Amino acid sequence: MEERRVISAWRKAPWTNFRKLGRVLVRIALVALFVFAGATKAYDPGAFAIEIQRYQIVPWMMGALVSVYLPWLEMLAGALLLLKRFERGALLVITLLLLVFTVALASAMFRGLSIDCGCFGKAFSATGTTFPLVRNLVLLVFTGILWMEYR
Amino acid sequence: MRALRQASLILLVALIPASLTATFHPRRPPWSEETLLPGEVRIQTVLAWGQDVQWIDARSAKEYEVEHVPGAILLNLENWDQLFPQFLDQWNTEKKVVVYCSSTACELSHEVAERLQKDGVSPAYVLKGGWEAWKSEE
Repeated sequence: MEERRVISAWRKAPWTNFRKLGRVLVRIALVALFVFAGATKAYDPGAFAIEIQRYQIVPWMMGALVSVYLPWLEMLAGALLLLKRFERGALLVITLLLLVFTVALASAMFRGLSIDCGCFGKAFSATGTTFPLVRNLVLLVFTGILWMEYR
Repeated sequence: MRALRQASLILLVALIPASLTATFHPRRPPWSEETLLPGEVRIQTVLAWGQDVQWIDARSAKEYEVEHVPGAILLNLENWDQLFPQFLDQWNTEKKVVVYCSSTACELSHEVAERLQKDGVSPAYVLKGGWEAWKSEE
């Protein structure tokens, strides 16, 4: 019986390791993206406020408030995803942010706005909402992979 | 519940650097939409300049053909190589260059003004509120 268990575990080992590696890579990708995205926007919140305005969703004042708050939230949540103590909370914040960004991008796309996503401030400027939307959906899948750890 | 508690804490802690940014950051946004960004001018100021203005329309050719400020020259980044020489042929260097696009939310006018200044046309002003500001004053 013991032998069977050992053999079974040995057979599963490569797959388990592969899954573990996958989760590590997904976590690193989310951390890197969110910290970088937050940093580039924190560098020039004035420019970010203009990017928010282009979505034509919120009034200027609210966009200005978001432009000074959101970058720090992204950086903090991204960094805390590395710490066991805060990873669930950080993952929840990241998931919610991705949902909000996805809805905003989809809304802009639906209204035919030809705008820069504003996702990385002025670091990467590119007009168009399709690629950022697809990227966000991929990132949401990543968060789903990490949430599965807590099942 | 743990995730919610942690998330709430993260949301609260992020307020600290955000408050500092809002107060001290050199590139913080203006809190009122009425505040002019660098290079911007209000429609009233431009109208006060009278005939000494060369309008530049940074919108698409389609929008330009529908309607534009009388005397405006079409110059957008999409067709820069073709349109910029045409602009130079028509430009009177005595006139102040003012660039507009569709509205405040449009960034194209700033990009065109920046490009003009890089290519030696300086100063190039940006109309605050763009085409919408012009129409409201008309």
